[in-house]
Amino acid sequence: MTSISSLPASSAPSTTTTTTTTAQDTYIFSPIYSFPPFFTLQPNPITRSSQLQSWSAHIQSYCRAHRLFSISLIDALPTPLFTNATLSRALSLRDAKAVVHWMSTKDGGNRAEWTGRKGDVEAAETEGGRAWIYWRRPEEWAQVIEDWVDRTGQRGTVLTLYEVTESDATRREEFWGMEGELLQRCLGVCVKKGKAQIFGGEGSEGVKFF
Amino acid sequence: MDRRRTPGLSSLTTSRLQTHHYTAHGTALRTRNAETLQTQLSVFQSLLHNFALTHSKDIRANPEFRAEFARMCSALNIDFLASSYHRDSRDAGGKDAGSIWTQLLGGSVNDFYFNLGVLIVEECRATRAENGGLISLADLRTRIQKGRSGILGASLSVSDDDIKRAVHSLAPLGSCFSIMNIGHRSLIRSVPKELNTDQSTVLEAIQLLGYITVSMLQVNLAWERPRAHAVVEDLMADSLVWVDCQAGENEYWSPAFISGGGGGGV
Repeated sequence: MTSISSLPASSAPSTTTTTTTTAQDTYIFSPIYSFPPFFTLQPNPITRSSQLQSWSAHIQSYCRAHRLFSISLIDALPTPLFTNATLSRALSLRDAKAVVHWMSTKDGGNRAEWTGRKGDVEAAETEGGRAWIYWRRPEEWAQVIEDWVDRTGQRGTVLTLYEVTESDATRREEFWGMEGELLQRCLGVCVKKGKAQIFGGEGSEGVKFF
Repeated sequence: MDRRRTPGLSSLTTSRLQTHHYTAHGTALRTRNAETLQTQLSVFQSLLHNFALTHSKDIRANPEFRAEFARMCSALNIDFLASSYHRDSRDAGGKDAGSIWTQLLGGSVNDFYFNLGVLIVEECRATRAENGGLISLADLRTRIQKGRSGILGASLSVSDDDIKRAVHSLAPLGSCFSIMNIGHRSLIRSVPKELNTDQSTVLEAIQLLGYITVSMLQVNLAWERPRAHAVVEDLMADSLVWVDCQAGENEYWSPAFISGGGGGGV
């Protein structure tokens, strides 16, 4: 008989936290997170696709709660995102790559994207580099930012990118703390739709919504 | 004038007359009897009607009350789900109604079970990839109550009994939905596959700890390794178990434990 010690039995799964922010303390993992086989990619293709979906949902909700816009696989592996210390189970780098890769495909709803320019993307993918996690896709972000501009009556004003993502005015907005590169991309969507214009040079850009 | 003793031809006529009278009287009696029964039945029906109408809200809203009502009906030999399929035997009186219950409750109780049946089918299909088409009754109930409460009105509370009835009401569709008991849990099977004895034994064993390993099967069931291995592989191919490779020996977990086994509250 195998020992029962590794069983999750009665231990609450949400106790796996490293206390840095309040979000981490209160974050409730989905029930599947305390299911040991969740951390082994299933060989059966049907089960696997269901599992990938669960992983995608898990990663998105974790990143949303922790305001993570991108993750570096190597750095994220030991965090509660991929490691359940209570169960002593962790997703391997190879499997994590497979999950993120699946998220970046059409099947996965394009919910992730490896960062970097064209040439670097493959490198990032093979080495387990950084990837954007789109708990909101850039188009959706564009809409959120536009709504905020609307709500605060700032159409026609020039805003610096710093104001949008780092000032106190947006501290309560979901896009607060967004990385510059992603913000550029989201604003790019607005520009394409003819709803905004970006001014200024590298490092001191401003944006104006019409 | 004692006619009975009268010999001769006339006695023949008399006896025929007598038989005729007896028959006529018998028919009259039988008719009256049937009429009484008919009246009783209609009185009963109207009472039941009244009862069902006064309590229709409870019947729909309160699962315990519904279960009691269903129990009462089955004690009276009325299957209120099946009644819509056997309308001929039910409505011998000649009324052109569907089921009594559609008549009485405006179809709401019947519809309740049919709607519930649809929800069950949806949930089973949605979770099929995860659990291979075998979902525990309790799990299904929480899913239905949590996820889809908006559809049948805000306060959809269902009991296990309701789900069983609803699953039975799916039977005429010829679909493969059925309830099977493994160990002391009821599972709803939504795939047409039959499990063989070995597979059900393993599933039963999984109920204890939530998982099973090949060596556990070998030790506890005195199975040969290839046999244990083959069963587990089969179960895995049907998505009925998930494998966990990080525990030394491979552990095979039942997806039914995804929601219930972790112990942690939601």
